[in-house]
Amino acid sequence: MTSDEIAENFSRLRDAGERLKRRPIGEVLEVLGAVLERWRDPNSVWRRDLEDRLPAATGFTAPMIGEGLKRALGDWTSDALRELAIRELGPIDPPGSASDRRISGFDTTAVLLAGSIPMPSLLALIAPLAVRSPVLAKAASRDPLTPHLVAQSIAEADAELGRCIRVVDFTAANEDCTRALLAADCICATGSDATIATVQSQVRPPRRLVVDGHRLSIAAVVPPESAERRIELAERLAVDIALWDQLGCLSPIAVFAVDPEPAHAAALAEAIAAALANAEENWPRGSIDASTAHEIAQQRAEAELRRAAGRAVEIHASDATAWTVIVEDGPEPRPAPLHRFIRIVPVPDPRRLLEAIHPFAAHLAAVAIEGFGEETTGLAHALANLGASRVCAPGSLQSPPLDWRHAGRGVLAPLARFSDIEAIA
Amino acid sequence: MSADPRRADIDRRVLEWMRESRWSYSEKRFEELALELFAFQFEHCEIYRRFCDGRSQTPSNVKTWRQIPAVPTSALKEVELRCFPASDTVHRFRTSGTSSDVRGTLYLDTLELYEASLLPTFRRFMFPEFLLPEDRAAIQVLTPSPIEQPDSSLSHMFGVVLDALGEQGSDFAVENGELLFDRVLTVLVESAASEMPITLCGTAFAFVHLIDHMSQRGVLIGLPPASRIMETGGFKGRSREVPRTELYAELKRVLGIPAERIVNQYGMTELGSQFYDSVICGPSEPRRKLGPPWARVVIVDPETGHEAATGQVGSIVVVDLANTGSVLALRTGDLGRAILDGFEVIGREPGADARGCSIGADEILDRSSP
Repeated sequence: MTSDEIAENFSRLRDAGERLKRRPIGEVLEVLGAVLERWRDPNSVWRRDLEDRLPAATGFTAPMIGEGLKRALGDWTSDALRELAIRELGPIDPPGSASDRRISGFDTTAVLLAGSIPMPSLLALIAPLAVRSPVLAKAASRDPLTPHLVAQSIAEADAELGRCIRVVDFTAANEDCTRALLAADCICATGSDATIATVQSQVRPPRRLVVDGHRLSIAAVVPPESAERRIELAERLAVDIALWDQLGCLSPIAVFAVDPEPAHAAALAEAIAAALANAEENWPRGSIDASTAHEIAQQRAEAELRRAAGRAVEIHASDATAWTVIVEDGPEPRPAPLHRFIRIVPVPDPRRLLEAIHPFAAHLAAVAIEGFGEETTGLAHALANLGASRVCAPGSLQSPPLDWRHAGRGVLAPLARFSDIEAIA
Repeated sequence: MSADPRRADIDRRVLEWMRESRWSYSEKRFEELALELFAFQFEHCEIYRRFCDGRSQTPSNVKTWRQIPAVPTSALKEVELRCFPASDTVHRFRTSGTSSDVRGTLYLDTLELYEASLLPTFRRFMFPEFLLPEDRAAIQVLTPSPIEQPDSSLSHMFGVVLDALGEQGSDFAVENGELLFDRVLTVLVESAASEMPITLCGTAFAFVHLIDHMSQRGVLIGLPPASRIMETGGFKGRSREVPRTELYAELKRVLGIPAERIVNQYGMTELGSQFYDSVICGPSEPRRKLGPPWARVVIVDPETGHEAATGQVGSIVVVDLANTGSVLALRTGDLGRAILDGFEVIGREPGADARGCSIGADEILDRSSP
């Protein structure tokens, strides 16, 4: 791939975009809704192809991918897409009047994908098209498959819309290609804080820049006293931890056990460990490199040494590195090796919970909470004030609704241009 | 020497090995001393004993030095590992880190083993041509002195090296936190003019500062052929990271010292012994890290905890008999791969804590950068 080829892609996309602009949004949404329905259908050729080929492309195991897609795409219906559009863009294709709001997409949108989880890529490619902007996407190095399949599925559903999407592959080190890609009128970039900083330094107004840096999620629960309810909660938390091997921004890196009695945290940890062992049976963790395995082993050994030093630290772990549960004795932030490595952090009450979260609140994506009774609403609002863009129940972290305002903003609106045409005599 | 007679006996035997003029890499000798030291540390360091108990790896079932449980070096930030009463502490070395970091501490009740280990090792890998005890070299050290940084094991090491191996004029070239560029350049120019080789020692980042300074002033010096460099440490979140190949190319450009005479030292505060690139002592062999007979490295598969297959990347675990007062088996934050009778360091895992002493010195140097 060369910068000239990227420029050539933009040129073709602009031509195709001219035709796209003339199509009613409702009609485009209908096509994209049909595409979503195909991706939802576990028997569709696209879904089967993705499930077959994603393990080799990403290192995830096939059973985990199947479960993750089933849970994530279940509610991503064509109706959900239309409702999302109405919520963010207003009435779709209202009959013309003297007073009107026009919605248009940018002449070109560039999407820099990151990570290895397919759903964000699917949504990132559909969103610009939904506001009628042609899109040029750079595939993530850790998932070179999904964006190509998504683009093909759109082309199959509607050839004209298919001409409005292109996917390119080049490494992040290719500065010429990156610069050429960032020449788009609207840029959506996902990645590490360093990647985002690089992009921000190269994109200046009036071009639109929509960025998503590193984010993380947590769970905060009051450990149930009943063993049965504890096990049930642990199983839902294990789903949140195990799916996508904890690599998504919706994967919890810690479970805060909010209870004045630390023993309840230990009991919950034991249940989560058992649930993660079951998860490993059903949806085995994917492959990891030596560096990640080393980090997991190192964190386990550090915890062992803290325990040996007399601190109230407990460790539950698989023989190899498949899963790890560590009960900490204090809320200080510690490294999160991911790949099914979870820390259980006891805090005595919600106030201490909020204090413990505060140091990393700026990076907070979602918080799963449960067991707070009458305090639930107040806690949810406090978490929102801290920066969480989603507060949900344990077990649903990996199934965000299509209209979740990722990073605290909309899905479609940030990519659109709105024009309010007022009534003129 | 330790007040504990059992420990004193181990110390004496390890010191004996360190003081032998000809190195013998006896597996049997190492095994015996390592297992004996492990048993001693198991008994005298309660935290380590509990750690080993937790793994069900105790002197009763650990049969070879390769099975001795290794503690992660990063844990020294949170726990004190020593086999002697706190009141016997004579020196503390602290790991590097920024002011906001928690820094690990190595407590010592004697510096005898530390110094006895470092000197023959430095001599062997930096000056293999030295035949006589009185052989000396011109050395300039680009770190603060141990007087300026008493808790830096790196500064202490260079202090010992200068005292034992430095000829007149050898000195530290950092004072009050500033690299004395003018003095260093004067010494280098004199070396080139007199064709008397010089040895430069310091952190990798200190050399970056020197290269930057010389480049900005357009200074290029062709040092005599027998000159050499010992650099250590990484860049650990510094403002600039320079790949080692690039660093060595730049050092050759500004100083005329080729990569074959640039030695990377692998050491850390938590270790009493150090490992060096083999390029000077074995110029025709592949570059790899080698150490003294009383310190061994095993590459461990982090998935299984067992020794990695030949050529496989794994965690670097060091078993160092110089660590008699703390814990002899340490799991470092680095990944490596075995090469012949040595190893290579592949790099640090993401998020690994800072290692070694260089960042402490580098922080100061950064403030004085041109």
